[in-house]
Amino acid sequence: MAGVRDRATPAATSSDQLLAFVQYLRGKKIPVSPADTLDAIEVAELMGYENRSLLKNGLAAALAKSRHELTVFEAAFDDYFQPTPERPAANAKNHSDEADALPPPGTPEQAGLAEANDDLLEGLRGNALFDALESQDESALSVAIETAAVEAKVEEISLFTQRGQYVRKILDALGDEALREAAIEFEQSEPAAFEAVQALREQLRERVRDRVERAYLIHAAAATEDLLDESLSKLKLGNIDHSQMARLKRLMDRMARKLAARHGRRRRRYRRGKLHVGETVRRAISTDGIPFHPRWRKVERKRPQIMAICDVSGSVAAYAKFLLMFLYALQDVLPRTRSFAFSAALGEVSDLFASLPVEQAIELVNLKYGGATDYGRALQDFSELALAEVNRATTVIILGDARNNQADLRVDLLAELKARSKKVIWLNPESTRLWGTGDSEMLVVKRHCHVAKECNNLNQLERIIDKLLSDRR
Amino acid sequence: MTDTHYPALGDIDAIQQAFESAGYICTTRIATVVRLAAALEKPVLIEGPPGVGKTELAKTCAMVVDRPLVRLQCYEGLDESKALYEWKYGKQLLYTQLLKEQLGDVLDGAKGLNESMSRLHQFSDVFYSEDFLESRPLLKALEAENGGVLLIDEIDKADFEFESLLLEVLSDFQVSIPELGTIHAQSKPLVFLTSNDTRDLSDALKRRCLHLHIPFPSVELEARIVASRVPDLAQSMTDQLVRFVHAIRSLDLKKAPAISETVDWAKSLVLLHARDLDGPLVQDTLNVLLKYEEDIQIAEGQLPKLLAAAAG
Repeated sequence: MAGVRDRATPAATSSDQLLAFVQYLRGKKIPVSPADTLDAIEVAELMGYENRSLLKNGLAAALAKSRHELTVFEAAFDDYFQPTPERPAANAKNHSDEADALPPPGTPEQAGLAEANDDLLEGLRGNALFDALESQDESALSVAIETAAVEAKVEEISLFTQRGQYVRKILDALGDEALREAAIEFEQSEPAAFEAVQALREQLRERVRDRVERAYLIHAAAATEDLLDESLSKLKLGNIDHSQMARLKRLMDRMARKLAARHGRRRRRYRRGKLHVGETVRRAISTDGIPFHPRWRKVERKRPQIMAICDVSGSVAAYAKFLLMFLYALQDVLPRTRSFAFSAALGEVSDLFASLPVEQAIELVNLKYGGATDYGRALQDFSELALAEVNRATTVIILGDARNNQADLRVDLLAELKARSKKVIWLNPESTRLWGTGDSEMLVVKRHCHVAKECNNLNQLERIIDKLLSDRR
Repeated sequence: MTDTHYPALGDIDAIQQAFESAGYICTTRIATVVRLAAALEKPVLIEGPPGVGKTELAKTCAMVVDRPLVRLQCYEGLDESKALYEWKYGKQLLYTQLLKEQLGDVLDGAKGLNESMSRLHQFSDVFYSEDFLESRPLLKALEAENGGVLLIDEIDKADFEFESLLLEVLSDFQVSIPELGTIHAQSKPLVFLTSNDTRDLSDALKRRCLHLHIPFPSVELEARIVASRVPDLAQSMTDQLVRFVHAIRSLDLKKAPAISETVDWAKSLVLLHARDLDGPLVQDTLNVLLKYEEDIQIAEGQLPKLLAAAAG
């Protein structure tokens, strides 16, 4: 019998086990709602527990809701319902009516010991845990351990060193206490019985340890990842090490996906708007005033546009890179982004970014437009190049530290930009405390922008772009 | 527990056989999900790359249970007047105009405004009755007398709002029409939704469905599919062809060839009386399999390797 677990226990235990499996899936980050659980129980009733692959297919249909979840589900199912090796053979025999009267299975040596001490162990019979261990009742044991694990909150494990602590907690929750006391009692007087009980306890401990280690692998491994991601998104982008770029890129893609999903949806709307009364009445003239052909207004879609002007000189370049990476990761939601780069002169780099990977594009841009920063000239160049296309749907993002080497920053051009556009946002990688110190013109600049913000880590960047997208309508 | 509407779908092996004789080779997983859909009366959300037979599954299912198939093709901007129901506005207007004459008779002898109004009220619902209701696919599927198969194709193309509209239909098999009340399904149809995964569907919708992901088939399965669809092709040729296609799928292509393309290719090889899969023949017919010029160029560059893989 290639059963899920060989067992003679009726449906009650099965659905308990199914519930524990659902818990297990939730631990694997598959969200299973109570309604899904009900579906799963219904599916299991239909499919039966005898045919493993049948049950797997059926449960997959009810519980795994995407391709990603399907892979996780399949692995989890195989882990959880692995056919138990060796033991069932002895087990099957044991489930007969006189199970209690029969000597407990296991190694012959152990069986012999237990037989000798049958009377002594009699006092422990009736203890659910002991009975399950003695009769090797797989399903009862796994359910008990699973319940105890939930009680001990084993899913909160976060460090490798916590394993021992959780093993203890689970053992306590299981009621190992009673067995231990029995063992202590037997230790002096009845060495054989002591051995038997200790062997069973060791088995139990082994199982619990497995369970805790599994929990560590599932939960703590994920927690460690989360921790790394979190600290990275708070780190100053300028300080990020090259070795962390891959992780950062992944993190950024995920943020971009999240933003795109959140804001992409709202963009789509029904095309049909309200009734166009005037046109409907006019058309009705030909049908004697009866409006056979109603005319509907169209919902106009605003075509928002972002123009990003980035300082790519020296220390600011790293930040420019991230801003541009982020904006281009959002191309689905922000299809008409144009980007400009400057340090001395300014030029449009949209095509570069559209055709090349961001890192390469940045290098090229540095090569082309590098030099001593001159905001005045850059703004002038921008005015000539694109000011005519700045209108009320345009958001201009300027990224720079506003340190202009004492030269004129051409605030007048900035003011004009502010007047024409929907929004001018100045992002400064420097901390607010440094604004206005030395040759920083930030305090002047600030007055001529709609928004001026410090932006030097991924979290700030995400928040700013999120805000930008929600204001877009 | 077992649904009496669709006795053909009561047993997994029977489903596989019935589908096979209808020309659709399905895996146990597919058969299991179909069986569950019939038994639990839940819609099935089918996902997978284009051309693996998602739509075909629904069609075959309709054939197997011998019920009509109602198909709703989704697109951006699809709304309830196209999917659920619409009032026949023109007919309503026409009838009011025609019946204008009768108004005199109805109101004949009525004293004062109040009495005229109360007489008119007796007829007020006439124009919002089922006679003036244009059923669209969703409503049609619910109205079908012996159940049927409802196919909601490419749900990911529809707007997000449309999904919410579907929820009532999918979970309770009913539609609420403000003027008429709630219309329940005569007998519940089998519902299939397909998605190409161009966007994430809402959790509410996913929650109401059974899930079926159809991946590209294994070599053996695809060979069986081709053999059943194109029986004229020699067995050895079928095997070569399928192995070739599998090798091509492992390349980095813009669009990997799906089952339907494999079948098309097999058909064209039959037409060309091809006996063996060799270089020139593949080169000439590669455009059946690959739909982008770049892809064809990539594949041609790898041709010797692919042919070696095909030879096994």
